Amino acid sequence: MKNKQLHILAIIITAVISSCSPRVISTKYYEENKLTLDSIEHSYSRLYKEKPFIVGFTDKNFKKISLEITTDSLTYIYDFRADEKRLTDTLIKYGLNAVLITQMISEMRSIRCTWVTNFDYFVEGEKKSLVFLSIKPLGLSRPFSNLRYYTITYFSQKQYYDKKGRLVNNRRQRQLQKLNGEIFKRINDNVSYTVSSTYR
Amino acid sequence: MAPVNLFWKKYGRILLIAGLLCCSLNTATGTIPHFFTNEANPTSSKEEALRFIHEIKSVPASKHWPNIDPGPFLENIKLNINDPMSMYPGIGTNFCGYGALIYLLLHDDPLGYARFMVTLYRDGKAVLGSSLFEPASIIKATAGTLKFKGELDIRPAEQMFYLTLADHFKGYVNIFNRNYDPGDENTFWASVNYAKFNRMIRHTLNYKVHARGADLLQPQVGNTYDYITKKMKEGTVVLYLNNRILHKKKHEKIKLGIPTHFVILESISKVKGMITLVYWDYGHKTLREIRPEFLHKIVFGISVCEKKGKQ
Repeated sequence: MKNKQLHILAIIITAVISSCSPRVISTKYYEENKLTLDSIEHSYSRLYKEKPFIVGFTDKNFKKISLEITTDSLTYIYDFRADEKRLTDTLIKYGLNAVLITQMISEMRSIRCTWVTNFDYFVEGEKKSLVFLSIKPLGLSRPFSNLRYYTITYFSQKQYYDKKGRLVNNRRQRQLQKLNGEIFKRINDNVSYTVSSTYR
Repeated sequence: MAPVNLFWKKYGRILLIAGLLCCSLNTATGTIPHFFTNEANPTSSKEEALRFIHEIKSVPASKHWPNIDPGPFLENIKLNINDPMSMYPGIGTNFCGYGALIYLLLHDDPLGYARFMVTLYRDGKAVLGSSLFEPASIIKATAGTLKFKGELDIRPAEQMFYLTLADHFKGYVNIFNRNYDPGDENTFWASVNYAKFNRMIRHTLNYKVHARGADLLQPQVGNTYDYITKKMKEGTVVLYLNNRILHKKKHEKIKLGIPTHFVILESISKVKGMITLVYWDYGHKTLREIRPEFLHKIVFGISVCEKKGKQ
């Protein structure tokens, strides 16, 4: 009888631990929030092409916004409260689409997306882009772990992965390809994820 | 990789913090008498540098740098000479200190920069200031192969220079990881502490450095804004900043007061109690408005670089 109870306890513990593993959470999180994540990525890619900018939340409560606007001569970095009118005024001042960007910021907040940025890279001299989304899901970090953010990358083209689903540099060499010092894993051909201690 | 090296890579960060506590009091707080400088009197001009590149026309592919083709290499050098601001130390790397050094070199002596780079490419070794650079084989094999670093991916000459500087100059932050392994451009191997930065400038460039600050202690200069404003008139000011606060990367309650970033200060002004900083770091100038207390909080080092021999 005692043995049976111990077995059940062991199964429950194993189930809880495995259900909280970064792999399960990341793919599960992506599937559950796919529509919103794809919408943010789509909006950001489009808006970034019009005028480069980076936006994100710098506090845990998603009330403080950091906005970086890149012009030909300067990058401007501003900090706002999320409800501050200065945010919209600044977006308009620099010729950004204030309506779409504020909508995108609301979507980000709704799924606890902390940061969105563009990342340029080069394949045989040709410039490509990917979009980085960092998310801080609630209560998913393990105790004493500093891995708190899920970073999801959207590549503009199909990527190569090894047998373990890790991003590699190309089909021939198959060397691990780190981004920002992190190993990324496959969600689908164009989307990968990592669990990180930082959101940018 | 050797087990000892693995040990240092794993536990190096903890030991480093302990080391920082011990060493910070001894870092570059020394002051060197400074002279009034004339920044409009550079050692060489952009035109001289471009003429030099034009006259050599092309260089044969170097056996020392197998992954750097001469064409893109010379194009990168010309780009840096024409537009020093566009120089880009790469996403996620620890090359900001080397970037600041090269920025100073490109502004003061573009011809010296061009000659150094061509010699280093052709001969595999070259002299800059009082330092002879002869990078390790792995550095030569790696230059030109760094990827997913943004524009740095297509800048072979810059990759070559950053890696060469990181390979040559060592500070106590590099004790636990002295030899390059792939990916080390993002690790302590490439890090620059304050004393090391000032030493690099003194050993390579035609500048005297008047340094105030340390790795763990902020400079005791009274009003930080007033001090920096005054020093801007004397030379090029490099600030050593706590980037964990300036560019937050995580939502942490307790932020370690450790500086990690070097920027070239382009201008500083104060309007209605807010300070406007314009600084150069990764490939462009950034403007940021901050409060005076925030400025005081993030500045750990103020290095004033003045041309040698100016009164």
